[in-house]
Amino acid sequence: MASKTKTLQLYRTMLRESSKIPSYNFREYAIRKIRDTFKQNKQCTESTVIQNQLKEAQRNLEIIKRQAIVGQLYSTEKLVIEYTT
Amino acid sequence: MAGILVKSYRFCIKSSLQLRSLSTRPLAVSLISKGNETLQNYCPQIKSGSLILTQRLTPQERSYSSKPPLSLKLITDRVLLVLKLYDKINPEKLSLTSHFINDLGLDSLDHVEVIMAMEDEFGFEIPDADAEKLLRPADIVRYVGDREDIYE
Repeated sequence: MASKTKTLQLYRTMLRESSKIPSYNFREYAIRKIRDTFKQNKQCTESTVIQNQLKEAQRNLEIIKRQAIVGQLYSTEKLVIEYTT
Repeated sequence: MAGILVKSYRFCIKSSLQLRSLSTRPLAVSLISKGNETLQNYCPQIKSGSLILTQRLTPQERSYSSKPPLSLKLITDRVLLVLKLYDKINPEKLSLTSHFINDLGLDSLDHVEVIMAMEDEFGFEIPDADAEKLLRPADIVRYVGDREDIYE
């Protein structure tokens, strides 16, 4: 059960980090992809498979963090659809 | 004869008064205002002094932004609104005491998302250890109330 809390923590950090990506398209893609992949592998029970998936998620988290920073360096104006109200 | 003299004298006084009021007043006003301007130009203390005076006369206003006032009822409404807008929760089944996982059919991933939505709504972070225990809307309301020191 240790992997459950780890997975949930990873899920949360990945969503948090990807919401920091400034570009609308990349941000929405990352959030959508994270949600779908975690849902897809929800029923997974084999511990080796879970460990591999977690490792991959960790790698992707690094990419997301990096892309958020790089995107902030080269950020552009918000899209029209991003303005609420 | 004397009557005419008096009349003309009165007329003279009247007309001179009118003339004075017509001609010299605007001149005097403009002179005063000019004097004021030059005074303000040369000694800025006077200007700032008058500013302080006006500030004292008008009531002080602070333009800091602050959080909207919270009460337990407002927190409850906001929590329920966020939950209603979440697409995986059926708004008809939702009540304050319904369990997210057992009653509303969410899984643990959805629960994480609910907690994140609450963090965004109330503007503070909920640690993982506390988030695990917030399994009903009533728990969230109480947690937010404790955190903001609201007990009524």
